[in-house]
Amino acid sequence: MPEFATLASPYSMPAALHGDVDLTDPEEQTQTRALNQFLAGVELKAFKIAQAALRHEDDALDAVQDAMLQLARAYSDRPPAEWKPLFYRILENRIRDMQRRRTVRGRVMAWLPVRNDEDDDDYDPVAQAPSPEPQPVRRLEIDEAVGALEQALQQLPHRQRQAFLLRALEGLDVAATAQAMGCSEGSVKTHYFRAVQALRGQLGELYL
Amino acid sequence: MSAVNESDTEFERNARRVLEESVRRIDARTRSRLNQARHAALEAAATRRRGWFGRLTLMPAAGAVAAAVLVAVVLWQREPVGKPPVGPEAQRAAVEDMDLLTDNDSIDLMEGWDGSFYEWAAAQSDAGTESHS
Repeated sequence: MPEFATLASPYSMPAALHGDVDLTDPEEQTQTRALNQFLAGVELKAFKIAQAALRHEDDALDAVQDAMLQLARAYSDRPPAEWKPLFYRILENRIRDMQRRRTVRGRVMAWLPVRNDEDDDDYDPVAQAPSPEPQPVRRLEIDEAVGALEQALQQLPHRQRQAFLLRALEGLDVAATAQAMGCSEGSVKTHYFRAVQALRGQLGELYL
Repeated sequence: MSAVNESDTEFERNARRVLEESVRRIDARTRSRLNQARHAALEAAATRRRGWFGRLTLMPAAGAVAAAVLVAVVLWQREPVGKPPVGPEAQRAAVEDMDLLTDNDSIDLMEGWDGSFYEWAAAQSDAGTESHS
């Protein structure tokens, strides 16, 4: 699919070149490299999952950042095979916390005068920078498909959306999804099946 | 661990492609922030490991200090060797000691002890007793 070609991945470079982490100890170097590789592999998908749940870019970034930190602090000594379900479990807990806090804040803010935040949005040239994209017509088709799917995902109940994204986007199997969601494998299958049915009902056959 | 398998329907495969495309479209600003977050996490993990390593290197010194404190506490709390005398013998000895302490004459006698005189007096007393008999 050449039309989907994008920037070369910056995550293939050695971990030692990424930042200021001291990598003098070979064992630490190996662990740091493995953790870096894992986080680089999940961060973008995790952001999309958090964004779909929270519907707010900054909140999603905060949730992913918190999940990364907690995984690094509490579970980095675990075998790397365990990291993915743990990471998504942490992320899910963080998303729930933020949703809960947002509900409380919404109740409080309902009593306060409305404030216009539009003036706070500064122009960000980096965010507006052009990226390699397909031709305009094809791009329009992709835009429509992505927009339709994202909108349909937002209509789903939280657990169905979570099961669908963990399975379809992150590629977790049923057992790992159940571990990440904190429920049984049977529940995962049910949530995923219902999510697919609902999406198909809304989108028809999806083509890209 | 991948969910990609033969049983996926066409819809699921297309949905996956659309989702992957939406990930590719994440803007540079968000990627940069995620990159920073990842480095912060790596630094946190490294700090944690260094903390553990530091604690491990301090372990022998801490063990030596703990052992010294333990020995000191044991010696401090240790009971004296042997037990104080108890029973009738001990009570009788205590009464004799009290007599010696409270009797001024006895103490004076002890201070001016003349062994040869008392030995001679005792011999004279014994000799007198024998002559009377």
